[in-house]
Amino acid sequence: MRDAKVSPHQVMSHTDQGEYSRTIFGFWVYLLTDFMMFAALFAVYVVLRKNTLNGPGPKELFDLRSALVQTLVLLFGTFFVGMAGVYAHRNKRRKTLLYFGLTFILNSLFLWLMVSDLRRLIEMGQTWKNSGFLSAYFTLVATFGVHVAFALLWTIVLLVPVLRGGIELFSLRRLVCLRMFWQFLNIIWIFIFSIVYLLRGIP
Amino acid sequence: MIDTHRGWNMSIKPTVLGLFFSLVAIVASYRIVNHYHFSNHVLVWEILILACVQTTLQLIFFLHIGLEARPRWNTLMLLFMIFLMFVLVGGSIWIMHHLDYNVMPPLDQL
Repeated sequence: MRDAKVSPHQVMSHTDQGEYSRTIFGFWVYLLTDFMMFAALFAVYVVLRKNTLNGPGPKELFDLRSALVQTLVLLFGTFFVGMAGVYAHRNKRRKTLLYFGLTFILNSLFLWLMVSDLRRLIEMGQTWKNSGFLSAYFTLVATFGVHVAFALLWTIVLLVPVLRGGIELFSLRRLVCLRMFWQFLNIIWIFIFSIVYLLRGIP
Repeated sequence: MIDTHRGWNMSIKPTVLGLFFSLVAIVASYRIVNHYHFSNHVLVWEILILACVQTTLQLIFFLHIGLEARPRWNTLMLLFMIFLMFVLVGGSIWIMHHLDYNVMPPLDQL
């Protein structure tokens, strides 16, 4: 195993191993239910997309370039969280902290970009009260934003014990769950980017 | 050593590969929308297929789905979720497409 020191993962006993897999599986099932919730919101958006009540539609309102920037920022945040997961498994505390820190910065930037996009719409007078299309859009994107905000909070909460001590099995398990949560959010964003932003011009 | 994911949890390579493939997919779909002229029907399919390919690659390279030890519960749950998603999203779109606009007259004719 390369240059890695002894990682918590390698010295796991059989019981620990079972508990680790069970936790990951349980968290994965939670993520799948969250996928289902977003699937329902996507269905609502696709159905209500044309109900603009003679107001401006997706083509006039959405800025594709800004959406691309958000997508790339979030993708690199997800990449860094993947790196952080690798270093957590290798029991390298400093690099784990560094990469989780980078993830935190990039994803905060993403949240800021996303919220300023929503603010731009609201300042133009295009709020969720205007039409079915805007209600569905705001619900979908704001639900995503709330997920990102909670994940940022969760990152801080998990990094405090790592900052104080090392990465023992207990915190490794929680860090892997956090890694999976960010990666899950990035997958949801692929579909927001494709269906809401890239396909905005489809009549 | 116990490793349920064939060493992928400890290796940087899958993460870098996942980033690379995702970048290619994002840039490709962005260029397709901005620089080429396809009919709406073709465009929708191209973007959706690229999104699904990117999702599959991220599930494998980032989330290591399909690499866990047997029995592969994570993968099975994912497949069942995809089936439910098709029923929910596909069903809603299908029903609304055939119901809403055929039953309700346009607003100015009410």
